[in-house]
Amino acid sequence: MVELERIDTQKAYNLIKEKIITLQLKPGAPIDEDALCAETGLTPTAVREALKWLAHDHLVDITPRHGIRVAEANPAELRELFEMRLPLETLCARMAAERATADDIVVMDALVREYERVKGAGNVDTLLDLDHRFHGALADAAHNRYMRETLERFFGLSERLWYLASPQIDWVLRALDRHAELVQAIKARDAERAADLMHQHVLDFQALVERALGLV
Amino acid sequence: MTASQPATRTLVLGIDTGGTYTDGVLLDYHTREVIASCKSLTTRHDYAEGIGRVIEGIQIDNPAEVKMVSISTTLATNAIAEGKGARVALILIGYDKELAEAFQLHQRFGTTQYAFFAGGHTLFGEEKEPLDLQGILDYVHRVKDSVDALAVSAYFSPMNPEHELRAFEAISRICDLPIVLGHQLSTKLGSVERATTAALNASLLGMLRDFVIAVRRAMEARHIHAPLMVVRGDGTLMSEEFAARTPVETIHSGPAASAMGGRFLSRVDTALVVDVGGTTTDIALIEDGRVRVSEEGATVGNYKTCVQAANILSIALGGDSHIHIGRDQKWTIGPARVVPLAYLAHQHPAVKRRIAPLLQKGWGQIDLDQLEFWFLQREPPPGMLEKGSREAEVVALLREGPMCVTDIVRRLKLLHAGQIGAAELWRQEIIGRAGLTPTDFMHLDGIYRAWDAEMSEIAAALFCRNLGLDVKTFRDLLWQRVDEIITEVILSFLTGKKLAAPDPLHDVDMGRWFFHNSLQAAHPHLETTIRLKVPIIGIGAPAKIFLERVADIFHTELILPPYYWVANAVGAVAGSVMVSEEALVYARLSEDQSEVVGYYVQTSEGRTYYESLEEALGYARQRVRTLAWEGAVRAGAHSPQVTLEEVEDGLDTYRIRARAMGTPRLA
Repeated sequence: MVELERIDTQKAYNLIKEKIITLQLKPGAPIDEDALCAETGLTPTAVREALKWLAHDHLVDITPRHGIRVAEANPAELRELFEMRLPLETLCARMAAERATADDIVVMDALVREYERVKGAGNVDTLLDLDHRFHGALADAAHNRYMRETLERFFGLSERLWYLASPQIDWVLRALDRHAELVQAIKARDAERAADLMHQHVLDFQALVERALGLV
Repeated sequence: MTASQPATRTLVLGIDTGGTYTDGVLLDYHTREVIASCKSLTTRHDYAEGIGRVIEGIQIDNPAEVKMVSISTTLATNAIAEGKGARVALILIGYDKELAEAFQLHQRFGTTQYAFFAGGHTLFGEEKEPLDLQGILDYVHRVKDSVDALAVSAYFSPMNPEHELRAFEAISRICDLPIVLGHQLSTKLGSVERATTAALNASLLGMLRDFVIAVRRAMEARHIHAPLMVVRGDGTLMSEEFAARTPVETIHSGPAASAMGGRFLSRVDTALVVDVGGTTTDIALIEDGRVRVSEEGATVGNYKTCVQAANILSIALGGDSHIHIGRDQKWTIGPARVVPLAYLAHQHPAVKRRIAPLLQKGWGQIDLDQLEFWFLQREPPPGMLEKGSREAEVVALLREGPMCVTDIVRRLKLLHAGQIGAAELWRQEIIGRAGLTPTDFMHLDGIYRAWDAEMSEIAAALFCRNLGLDVKTFRDLLWQRVDEIITEVILSFLTGKKLAAPDPLHDVDMGRWFFHNSLQAAHPHLETTIRLKVPIIGIGAPAKIFLERVADIFHTELILPPYYWVANAVGAVAGSVMVSEEALVYARLSEDQSEVVGYYVQTSEGRTYYESLEEALGYARQRVRTLAWEGAVRAGAHSPQVTLEEVEDGLDTYRIRARAMGTPRLA
């Protein structure tokens, strides 16, 4: 059965997620459900359900005491996030180098080629989308469901960090330039090198975010 | 409580969106009694709007009693015919590019955006050449921002869908566009038809999904919580989810539903069903309770598909066909459809006051543009009309109310109607046209008197005065013309032959002579008659007047079942829920391709291998039977019956099709 509620919830989820990631809703800000309903034209049920999904993505905090808030992005939060992302992404790259199928590599290759094609145009949204898809393809290539699911939940948070670090095009380009090398390592089945590259890739990103937020 | 009022009834709501009207009926499923009906104009710019009005307007005392809602829709057929589907890129794997170009096959693909890639399989399910996945992904990256959906069809994918599936997996990781795969729509081997079907299906996905959602919302607003079904092109029902995935299957669902409705109400299992609507007359045949489907897939516009759909013949003649004077100064009927003057005057009495005085003007000829009225159907969407443009002027004029063409020409200071230039306004149904129609003559005869009969009388008198005929004489000529057209089309439908064009200078054609002599005996010694061996079931409000004499001509019985004027909508709920599953069994060759070493069975689940043909066929039969039965139960069928059909495609290849059918489960 076509479930209208689910369709509306999905719509609300996409709209609110976009607002949080692009910082239209600031980290730590309280969320006004009524205002969101009025703004999106969706039902209170749909909005409430969407907020639950977003809590699952760690983009929203729902607590009895503070009500519903956009997740914080303070130094403590960042540290927790990167403590997990660093080993996970590194492990993911290692597994991908060992297990990627020929088709997995063609997909990653295509994303790198597409990046080369569009990077001159300098559209940050396009580049961030390609980055997201590349990390997704890499997670698929690891052929481990739990890895894929866990990393997918971090993507929203990581995307918000890009916006927090007020993305400058050369930063994004510098980060994405690494993808080509990573694919080379995976093609060569060089798990060590893939892991090293990813490790450095995440560390660079962390340093970038910390510098942008004035944490170092 | 009396016996005539059972405590629980099983009510179902059937809706048919026709070319002119959207009809709804509330039906007691078991007694086949129509409890309520509702009619609203079809809104082509958004079908859901008209359907919403029917759901809103029909009298339902207790929404909880409604156990099913089912819809037949011309949405898909019209979108294809009018080229209004979404933009699709078609990915062809393993097709021969040179061959396709030599035979100009690209014109049949259903989209202008397509590309060829290496890959595909052989007739024995072996990889023909490696899949060019890289090429496909680069292509998708290039086109993804300029299309709404993708279709993938690989050569001999019904034998082995591996390349389509791999393409799907890879593409879905680089973009979020919906992707349609050829092998999921048909196991038939015609590669061009499969590509066309996949492309058309992709172009209709978004539209049908939005449609289903809009209908659901309308149901919600009336507190109807029941399963929603959509009629297929063969008259059977599919679940809304299935319909949203395979919109191509709704091709011809309207005429198929009418045929099923005629059968359901008349309880006759074999008959010719003639549905006389406002815009068209559709002819279908039911045999043993089923609509006859066309052997080789449905054709819409220029596109040949592999969709199983009712074999129908449709002509642009209906109750609301425009009766007017053609370019040759002779009167003619259709093909344009207009709003009957009786209806317009019923809605806007001022219209009658405008033309009534013309009757007093003695016997001179009048300007017949005064019998054609234009009216504003809906406000143009904001930004559509340029300020000060002719179109904006026309819309502004019509805001005052309906206006005849003569007055529009005068008010715009033009010389003749051809200068008005409002084609786009008609096409988008911003403005509508009203004129003299068979429906008006039905009012005149008192056969049908829903609206303003006096208006019809005045208009008919003026029209006939111009022809120099009295109204009675003209009316007989009109019905005679209608008889001729319908008789000819029934003969064409049953024989597949056409009547040769008349040659007034050298009339020696015996076919034409037989035809006319059978309608009206003219020869002093020879009598010819046509006899149809099955009864005609008439459907639609004009069916009685249009078909009574046609049945006489065919020397058969005309059955007008109870509620025949809304049988099309009844037909939307009359079909069985059907799910079909297919398997292909084909030979596996040895390495050097010299001998058959076993058999593959390809089902929707995947491919399995057997050593002997018997084993393979046995497994295929058992598996499709189970899959179809389970699918039908999931789709809402009550204890479905499964039938198997086997076709040998030659070359040691067998196609096994299971159809699980059951009446809808109305809990």
